[in-house]
Amino acid sequence: MSTTQQGTHSLAFRVMRLCKPSFHVEPPFRIDPTDLFVGEDIFDDPLAASNLPPLLSSHVSKSTDSSDLTYGDRFLLHHPSDAMGFSGLLVLPQSFGAIYLGETFCSYISINNSSNFEVRDVIIKAEIQTERQRILLLDTSKSPVESIRAGGRYDFIVEHDVKELGAHTLVCTALYYDGDGDRKYLPQFFKFVVANPLSVRTKVRTVKETTYLEACIENHTKSNLYMDQVEFDPAPHWSAIVLKVDSADDSTGGREIFKPPILIRSGGGIYNYLYQLKFSSPGSAQVKVEGTNILGKLQITWRTNLGEPGRLQTQQILGTPITRKEIELQILEIPSRINLDRPFLVHLNLTNHTDRKLGPFEVCLSQNSAHEEKTVMINGLQTMALSQVEAFGSTDFHLNLIATKLGVQRISRITVSDKREKKSYDPLPDVEIFVESD
Amino acid sequence: MDEPSPTADPLTNQFGSLNDLAHELASLQDLATRGSWRSILDKVSRARSLNLLSNPHDHLIYLSYNVLALSKLRRFTDASNELDSLHDFNSHHYKYETYPQLYPSRSGSMVPFSLRFIHAQLPIKLGNRQEGLDRFYLLLNFVRQRIKEKESNSLQESVKIWKKRENFVLNCLIGHHLGAKEFNVCLDLIKDLINHDYLDPVLISKLGYIQMQIGDLEGAKGSFNRVETMLNEGKDDGSSFLGEVEFRNLVNRNKALVYLVGKDYVSAVREYEECIERDHADIVAINNKALCLMYSRDLSDSIKVLENALERVPTVALNETLVINLCSMYELAYVNHSEIKRTLSNWIARVAPDDFDASCTRV
Repeated sequence: MSTTQQGTHSLAFRVMRLCKPSFHVEPPFRIDPTDLFVGEDIFDDPLAASNLPPLLSSHVSKSTDSSDLTYGDRFLLHHPSDAMGFSGLLVLPQSFGAIYLGETFCSYISINNSSNFEVRDVIIKAEIQTERQRILLLDTSKSPVESIRAGGRYDFIVEHDVKELGAHTLVCTALYYDGDGDRKYLPQFFKFVVANPLSVRTKVRTVKETTYLEACIENHTKSNLYMDQVEFDPAPHWSAIVLKVDSADDSTGGREIFKPPILIRSGGGIYNYLYQLKFSSPGSAQVKVEGTNILGKLQITWRTNLGEPGRLQTQQILGTPITRKEIELQILEIPSRINLDRPFLVHLNLTNHTDRKLGPFEVCLSQNSAHEEKTVMINGLQTMALSQVEAFGSTDFHLNLIATKLGVQRISRITVSDKREKKSYDPLPDVEIFVESD
Repeated sequence: MDEPSPTADPLTNQFGSLNDLAHELASLQDLATRGSWRSILDKVSRARSLNLLSNPHDHLIYLSYNVLALSKLRRFTDASNELDSLHDFNSHHYKYETYPQLYPSRSGSMVPFSLRFIHAQLPIKLGNRQEGLDRFYLLLNFVRQRIKEKESNSLQESVKIWKKRENFVLNCLIGHHLGAKEFNVCLDLIKDLINHDYLDPVLISKLGYIQMQIGDLEGAKGSFNRVETMLNEGKDDGSSFLGEVEFRNLVNRNKALVYLVGKDYVSAVREYEECIERDHADIVAINNKALCLMYSRDLSDSIKVLENALERVPTVALNETLVINLCSMYELAYVNHSEIKRTLSNWIARVAPDDFDASCTRV
């Protein structure tokens, strides 16, 4: 849609968005004449089987005969795949269509002189205006078009990588001398809106030394998107490999005709990617930096119709914040044989990871919210006292426990608390033991 | 079982000419190849009212031409109603053995297969896509059962024909899924065809076009390379559907597409010109060359190429897609484009076949 200034102009802009053409497809009503001249089972008759083919072959064009001046090809099949209605004929874009962030806007601009007189010294400008900026695409000020004859045209093609969302205006202006020698100014405006093509949702999970990043890409456009490249660009000190499900072993070996493409369905289709990330610091010891950590960015290149590309990158993706542990409680040893109603010792270690003295501590088997009855208890005083532990130091101790039931039981919720700071740390995960009779 | 040798006696030869197959079939076929579908409707109507059709197979063949003509004229509801008048394609009324005096020692269905095809395609043209697709898949099943039957009865010629029909139905299905952008289904169906040894350069080229349409440019190049290798090794599916000129042009056109997609329009035009040099009527090359010229900022020459083709080879160039492209170019090139489009429209009205969809001129 264009708007122009009032008053008569010799010149006018004609604009057409030049996205790539598409293949025409329309399954036709085209048939093999055999399927029209005779009944479908006639070839069961041996007489027909031997006599018909020679008669029919003269009516089936086997090669293009350019002297054939009929419209036979509109109704007869020349090749079996003609039935698809997909011959490779390309069609020009028939409408402006939708335009998305990351794509390239390309347009044919033709300036026509529809008057009966020549126009001279034409200065043509084309620019894109958005809320934030104006981008000049074409400017002939330095070498104006000397003249455009009556009925003539001057054409140009402009391209612009779309990097902003929202309203855009293609402004075309021409400054020229018309047939009467008057200096005229013609502005024309063509508006379009840029929308967001994708959204990316990420999930980060850490398992021991490895961080996993799951990225889910959702397609908001009206076309299916072919995912040409989706790459994770890691932040410094991080490395990434993409984890893929191996496609089923091609037992036909080498007969693979093509790789199935990753195609995300239009209007809400999704596809997931999984990356394995590892952190490696330049020093030898692993340094865990407190606070948030930046993992990196996803670079996405997609293609639509005839390979029309679009490119986007995400913002920085953050990992889970790493908190430094102050205290670490570990079970070092549990006896191999545990008998019913007989005390046994569990060897534990408490380490202080901070740079100051901590404690004194208390260790107990705490109750959970359900107040379930414990089958394994501390034998003796229900809390064990531990003295202070130096900065970066550790202390070994033994818990004296007793099991009151046979079979598979659990030592649950060994909890250490700091008496001075009046703070309890998270209990250890439950440990299973097997209780035997004497 | 020995095939009996063709009868040498012209008096009892039932297969000497088209008119032996059905009443004035040659005339019907002639009208059809000229695109004179309205004349076909007249001829069928006249034959029916004057009771010129004596045998059941004549009725069926005339009905087939009638239904096809109605479909071509985009009178889909009328075509559908006429088909429905048959009630059941598999009825004994349409079997040779029901009329032993007319068709001695012949058995099986006398329904022309194109009726089954049209029956499946009509709902899709009427907007009921799911019904049409269901009919196509049922038809595929039906065809496959016939193949098994004929194979077990060693009816070699029948097996050949039914296998051709299987290929045909699969191609129809691919076309319909492609129109609805169901690309993964298309790829699966094509893979199926290729795995059944339909090693066909045209089919593999079309696979390449689909890959290109999706945006999988590397995949498309792979498919085109395969086709070029087939040309260089002198291979095709052995049924020699492709003459040498056609094969070479196919390879050149595939190359041109790769250039086009890479925005190297000059090289694309060069490939298309090689095709046109070999075959003046290669309309895909002509049309696509015009588009390349336009994308190279040469709107004037792109228009000339298409106008020229309509003048020189109207029977191949007069194609709705080419006309749509030409009209889009007129709309861009001329502020007052209605006049030039009307000139085109008038010319089309004089020259075009009955089934040409004139709405493509947007006049």
